Amino acid sequence: MKDPELYYVDGAVPETAVPKRSPQPWGKTRVVGKPLARIDGYERLSGAAVYPSDVVLPAMLYGAILRCPHAHARVTKVDAGAAAKMPGVRAVITGATPAADLRWYYSRTVFTKLFDPLCRFAGEAVAAVAAETPQQAWDAARAIAVEYEILSFVVDEHQALEPGAAAVQAGGNRVAEPETYSRGDVAKGFAEADTVLEANYATAAEIHTPMELHGCVASWDGPRLTIWESTQGVYPVQQRVAMLLGMPLANVRVIGRYMGGGFGSKLQADKYDLVAAVLAKLAARPVKLFLTREETFVCVGNRPPSTMRLKAGVKKDGTLTAFEMTVFGTGGAYPAGGTSLVDWLVRDLYLCPNVRTEMTDVFINGGPSRAFRAPGHPQGAWALEQMMDALAVAIGMDPVELRRKNIPEASQARGDRPYTTTGLDRCLAEGAAAFGWREARRRPKGDGAVKRGVGMAAGLWIGGGGGPPSTIVVKLFADGSANLNMGASDLGTGTKTVMAMVVSEELGVPLEKIQIENADTGTTQYATASGGSKTVPTEAPAVRAAALAVKRQLFEITGAELKVGAGDLRIEGDEVVSTSDPKVRQKIAEMEGVQRRGLLIGVGTRGPNPEGKIVNPFAAQFCEVEVDTRTGEVRVLRFLSANDSGRVMDRLTYAGQVIGGITMGIGFGLTEQRVFDRQTGTMLNVNWHDYKIPTAMDVPAEIVSLPIDAPDDEANTAGAKGLGEPVTIPTAAAIANAVYDATGVRVTDAPISPMRLAPLLAAARRGGER
Amino acid sequence: MIPAFNYVRPASLAEACAKLASPGTHAHAGGTDLLGCLRDGVFAADTVVSLSGIPDLRGVRKNLDGGLLIGAMTTLAEVAADQAVAAGYAALAEGALSAASPQLRNQGTLGGNLCQRPRCWYYRGDFHCARKGGDKCYAVEGENQFHCVFGGNVCFYVHPSDAAPALVALDATVRITGKNGSRSVPVAQFFVGPETDYTRETVLAPGELVTEIVLPPQPAGTRGAYRKVRARGSWDFALAGAAVVATVAGGRVTRMRIVLSGAAPVPWRVPEAEREVTGQRLTTQVARRAAAAAVKGAEPLAENGYKVELLRGAVEEALLRLA
Repeated sequence: MKDPELYYVDGAVPETAVPKRSPQPWGKTRVVGKPLARIDGYERLSGAAVYPSDVVLPAMLYGAILRCPHAHARVTKVDAGAAAKMPGVRAVITGATPAADLRWYYSRTVFTKLFDPLCRFAGEAVAAVAAETPQQAWDAARAIAVEYEILSFVVDEHQALEPGAAAVQAGGNRVAEPETYSRGDVAKGFAEADTVLEANYATAAEIHTPMELHGCVASWDGPRLTIWESTQGVYPVQQRVAMLLGMPLANVRVIGRYMGGGFGSKLQADKYDLVAAVLAKLAARPVKLFLTREETFVCVGNRPPSTMRLKAGVKKDGTLTAFEMTVFGTGGAYPAGGTSLVDWLVRDLYLCPNVRTEMTDVFINGGPSRAFRAPGHPQGAWALEQMMDALAVAIGMDPVELRRKNIPEASQARGDRPYTTTGLDRCLAEGAAAFGWREARRRPKGDGAVKRGVGMAAGLWIGGGGGPPSTIVVKLFADGSANLNMGASDLGTGTKTVMAMVVSEELGVPLEKIQIENADTGTTQYATASGGSKTVPTEAPAVRAAALAVKRQLFEITGAELKVGAGDLRIEGDEVVSTSDPKVRQKIAEMEGVQRRGLLIGVGTRGPNPEGKIVNPFAAQFCEVEVDTRTGEVRVLRFLSANDSGRVMDRLTYAGQVIGGITMGIGFGLTEQRVFDRQTGTMLNVNWHDYKIPTAMDVPAEIVSLPIDAPDDEANTAGAKGLGEPVTIPTAAAIANAVYDATGVRVTDAPISPMRLAPLLAAARRGGER
Repeated sequence: MIPAFNYVRPASLAEACAKLASPGTHAHAGGTDLLGCLRDGVFAADTVVSLSGIPDLRGVRKNLDGGLLIGAMTTLAEVAADQAVAAGYAALAEGALSAASPQLRNQGTLGGNLCQRPRCWYYRGDFHCARKGGDKCYAVEGENQFHCVFGGNVCFYVHPSDAAPALVALDATVRITGKNGSRSVPVAQFFVGPETDYTRETVLAPGELVTEIVLPPQPAGTRGAYRKVRARGSWDFALAGAAVVATVAGGRVTRMRIVLSGAAPVPWRVPEAEREVTGQRLTTQVARRAAAAAVKGAEPLAENGYKVELLRGAVEEALLRLA
């Protein structure tokens, strides 16, 4: 069976050169695993770090994009004459501008024009302006007169397949035939079950809304284009821009040293890159084009909404016999994986011989989805993990025990290929113990209107193993300081810090003497985008290989100088020392051979993943909540996340990922939701007070990160698996289960807002009084 | 982008009122609402008149009658932290503290809080709605989960202030100064409901400013509270709320005020609920009966029926906190 395509891999990946032999696993480490603060923490906190949105170039102009205000419309006339004459305006481009006659691809075969006359969602680009100031650019954009033929629209996916629904795409509103998966015989499985439950679940569309807005600065130097981009991957942006502009890759340089959050929405180039490049070309000036906050809500991606029906069978002893799931969703107006991976946990998280799933993806007149932190998984977990909770109640078994009864050692949905390691059982057992799960479940719920409850949920992430390609260069200077050159972006997760720790582990160079150059296609090596929880398991082994290449040279040089065999040497602090005679030692900075060469260069590449095996991270989360049963307010009191992500690379950034993932999961479960106006098809909550991401007051002070620190030496030479996504997968479901424990009410539609919960609680009270 | 405007900073109240009498001018107190409205094109301003140069508009003072005078430019944070407010007017202190976020409370003023424009997403968005001179309220047939269950008529927004319900419950008065002198208006009559005029929210005439909020002395045995229900823990307007002020003598409530937030286009006083409590001991049963009375006659729209449960819960909990 073919693996589902991971969103961050565009087709088959060519392997870079494999090192001749893999280094031994680390075993005990000196630096890796410590709780070390970010090496760029000062720059980030003080404001010294130059993010792409901070870039100011001499003679730089500012761009603005005029967007279609209608959910579905055809542009019939654009008159930019008045706008072009406005003060400060240096370039105006529309669909009629020859230089802007470009294509934009949503898949290999589906494309539109950059400024397409057919606008399929409110927010499609119609024209753009570059001017001396942002104010002049916006004034001019608004002065462009556009006539639209307004078309009927559909923004409620449940109406998309109804007869007479507006056709979003010419071929109809089905993105493709339903995607189906089947193993075993579900009818037989349900017949064997002692208990069969069936329920509907739904999750809302969630917006990435990263702190740093989407955007870029584009600047031409003759035929060469440089783009400063807030991105998760400079190389994917370079490839897309070069392809669409018909330029050699060598002439497109993309720089993104710092970036202020992405969560999947910044894995790719955007139309604004082309717009900025064309404006800059026409104006012969650099152009800065950052979207407004409102634009980032409508046109740079979202997590698709999911409607799920799940049927499950279980025996009295907790053996799962069958799952049957249907999923309905939408990725917006273009093919964008509207149901992508939503069924994955049902297929693969628990041992179950009989599984059938069917997923239907439809078009609506909404902004296209993009990968969003563990695509599909939090939605699937919302259904599966609430179902597991209900099954446990139905057969009178502890929810942790039910899960522990059904732990797979292999990926059932991927030809039963074994996992290199699975810490799922340890996450469940050790997480429950550390949380005090049994005691907490026994505690009274409270006599008053405010009830307490606990809940838990588990998960895995389909990716997280990383893999080739990646190339890293480590330079060791003659004074013993080092330079690490890597293409990968640091999303703020601590990638740079972790990689510096790997260099320090192998070469003994203290972190403050390691300078990092990253995320620049002009000066750093090829890397895939940082996403898919794969940056650490992809880059760390390549960094290690590069550092080892330096070390080999260092030992050869020292061996010759000290008359010791290279195999006898090791690094201690800033010295090379003979293992057999520790009195024989020399400071790296005083080594003549290194002085003469000026510096040593090591090149490392990422080797292949183990043949025939699956590398996935696992997680279990536990939480305690308080519910005001009069008002439906939910307060999360504490959370614990037990994670098997292989080796812990930096204990601090590890905890940071856990806290961030849980925060995001709280938003997904309790507060966040895209709202379309049904009358106009436009999105209403395009700001941070109407679209409610959690505040500090919504996140518990007590979030415990419990690593199952089991290095996965078979997976790669760092022993690490990904962490960024598994930390947010079970969160919302764990909260829903805790709310059920507190109140006896199961909220199957996310988010669990007072507006949803209070009526359910009132109905339950009335039912109880009858 | 905020459009360009002229900015003036008069040094006296009279000068400010004179400037504000001309069309196209807007007062700037904390600016937390004004700047957003200008940026979003909710309304335009040729001239913004800053009130920050006018002396004596900021601070909490004791009044001669034993009550308090709060300058309109006093920040919500200052109101919430003031000891005299907390001691004598807990409902106001809690209301001020529950508004917005710490940053906004440090900047936003009590006067501005009373004069803020509706937070309806149609009013704030690109919709030519009735309040902006259009011919319909988009909430009626649209996404009305955050709209009113009482007092809607042509326009169905809810008043966004958390301080105003408390001020109504405390029988507070606003002092207003205009070109032609000063006047006092009870806070309960300061707000204009849509059935009276759906294009304005207050009785302020052009050139008039709120200068001071007058809190009358409260009888001995008076207690108050504000309970706010919201979708997230901070930086959120009320989904529902209740300001309650009770005077208790001999174990029985002699005077009761219950005013709802998140319920209506104005702070919504519920006399029927007050009657359930007046003359009674504040027991669980009485609180429950009052809560039920508070939501009697609610007329939810398609998506906001949940507010009835929330308002009931808010009233009940607020009353029980006084017991």
